[in-house]
Amino acid sequence: MTDTGIVNISSFNKLKKSKNIKIKAIIKNLSVFYSDKCAVDNVSMNINAREVTAMIGPSGCGKSTFIRCLNRMNDVIENCTVKGSILIDGYDIYHPKIDEVKLRSQIGMVFQKPNPFPKSIYDNVAYGPRLHGIATKKNDLDNIVEESLTKAGLFKEVKDRLNDTAIGLSGGQQQRLCIARTISISPSIILMDEPCSALDPIATAVIEELIENLKKSYTILIVTHNMQQAARVSEKTAFFHLGKLIEFGDTKTIFTNPREKQTLGYITGRYG
Amino acid sequence: MSSTINQDIASSISSARINKEKRFQIYGVAALLFAMIMLVTLFITIFSKGLSAFIQTKVNLDIELTQEVIDPEGSRDLNVLKQANYQKLIDDSLKLYALNLFDKDEKELIKNLRMILSPIAYLELRNLVIDNQDFIGKTKKVSFIASDDIDQYFKGKIDMSIPEDDRKITDIQEKFLDDLQSKGQINKVFNKTLFTKSDSREAELSGVLGAVIGSFYSLLIAGLLSIPIGIGAAIYLQEFAKKNRITDFIEININNLAAVPSIVFGLLGLAIFLNMFLMPRSAPLVGGMVLALMTLPKIIIPARAAILAVPESIKQGALALGASHMQSIMHHVLPLAMPAILTGIIIGLAQALGETAPLLMIGMIAFIPDTPLYITDPATALPVQIFMWADNPERAFVERTSAAIIILLFFLIAMNSIAIYLRQKFERKW
Repeated sequence: MTDTGIVNISSFNKLKKSKNIKIKAIIKNLSVFYSDKCAVDNVSMNINAREVTAMIGPSGCGKSTFIRCLNRMNDVIENCTVKGSILIDGYDIYHPKIDEVKLRSQIGMVFQKPNPFPKSIYDNVAYGPRLHGIATKKNDLDNIVEESLTKAGLFKEVKDRLNDTAIGLSGGQQQRLCIARTISISPSIILMDEPCSALDPIATAVIEELIENLKKSYTILIVTHNMQQAARVSEKTAFFHLGKLIEFGDTKTIFTNPREKQTLGYITGRYG
Repeated sequence: MSSTINQDIASSISSARINKEKRFQIYGVAALLFAMIMLVTLFITIFSKGLSAFIQTKVNLDIELTQEVIDPEGSRDLNVLKQANYQKLIDDSLKLYALNLFDKDEKELIKNLRMILSPIAYLELRNLVIDNQDFIGKTKKVSFIASDDIDQYFKGKIDMSIPEDDRKITDIQEKFLDDLQSKGQINKVFNKTLFTKSDSREAELSGVLGAVIGSFYSLLIAGLLSIPIGIGAAIYLQEFAKKNRITDFIEININNLAAVPSIVFGLLGLAIFLNMFLMPRSAPLVGGMVLALMTLPKIIIPARAAILAVPESIKQGALALGASHMQSIMHHVLPLAMPAILTGIIIGLAQALGETAPLLMIGMIAFIPDTPLYITDPATALPVQIFMWADNPERAFVERTSAAIIILLFFLIAMNSIAIYLRQKFERKW
């Protein structure tokens, strides 16, 4: 395959070979501006496939903005400009020929506040497959819904009331429903923007367990305020401060032996 | 610094602050009471005046349908039947009833008695004969619509104590009618004419059908134009338009348009639709277009608010699943905003239904006895009909004016009830 503007396979393979690892995404010199304000400042990092990468940092440090670049959700915001490049599986997702709508069907996202559609549980999960024509027959759709809900660990709880409104579920159940909705169209990356910040500790534990299971088949990026959570669920951790990527590395190293002083300050609770 | 509670909390309770609050509550209750009294007064006046218009006095006469007068040759030809002198049959019958009562000049007497029935009494008789040809040669009891003055007399609205020359009912008529009543020839029925006929110079023959149809067509046109344009404009402004000076300018203007006096829209319709595009005068088509212009801002403003009220998170959820901007609006935002949008539409159209001024400007204030069939036929509208009837000097039009107001109020209350029902049925679910 030759290199075009969109696909940059050779550099991707080179990197893969040289490091001998399963690279999913390469982020290079990424900067994001809201009008003049710089929210993400020249961030570069590589994301490994089938791993959980956690973003930590104080409020307003740009970690949410950063992961919203990966499915181009920032395009929706007016006056938001993105510079730099993101390669996912070799595709430059900010290339003009890339359809950001299709991109979002392959990179799922779970939001901070559970946001189920005010429809039935079934319709919530079936929306994506219906939208993209993945399943047209009722039977296939039923299977996808059941499978997605099972993967999200929700099927047992709701199997008798699939046609009830999703708004009647508890917060934790709603968030798992949103995860089921996301995986119903089999994305290759799942972005999670503080998925547990609106949940109680028990619901949080359930979601964390779920993340543990999901990473066998999906690449997950998770933004969290909760450092223990990052330590529990992630393989890699990135520490952001004031839009800059301060430190990025194995979670163990970051939490036990950080290279930077700022990181140490944050994880020991001195600020943030 | 003291750590105990200040002794102020134990001071006298009847302070100025509490009096102030009480006074405010009294003002509020007084304002409410005033509004309620006004409303009740309005309803009492309208209903006490208007309800009697739903009742019509009928005069039942035994008519001898003689073969010689109707169809001397027995041909049963429709043209012969149509041209027969039915007035003579009625006159003969009236004479028969008056025989024992009066010894007056016959011509004067008949002239007096004819006035008891509506001017189309002979037509009523003609249609009856044509529909039932086997009645010819027999004597039948026929029910005629009483003329408006007689109707008013039996409703007790004519003062008989004033001199004969000043009142609508002559002494002869009074005597004759009382005699008829004692014989049981007078009865009162539901006034079907009010709903099945259009405007007329004769109060007893006038109805609101033409005006209701004119209003219906106008509203239909107004709805067909303003609903899609209004919702489309609201979606565009709220979801797609870039926030810049032009958008701000449009926004301010839409808000201002909602407050423009409706007669100005009528002038616009006159200048543009009638004078420039030469569209038909007095037509519900043009009336509807003018009302659509007037309704547009009243639909756009609540529709924008409704779209804005749908949480951003739901739209983002759809976007993150790979729905396009338009899909996220069509699948999620619009269905959720629809109840509130519908409420806005219905209230906007209900206002348009009650609007008179713009319709006057485009000529929907003509006397139109025909019931309009098409949207380009000359027509009038309910509020305009009320306005025109209120101008008529006849007593019978007074009650018909109030009756037409009751009918208009009925439609308005019905439309508003639908709006309330929709609002409650589809309460926001997020």
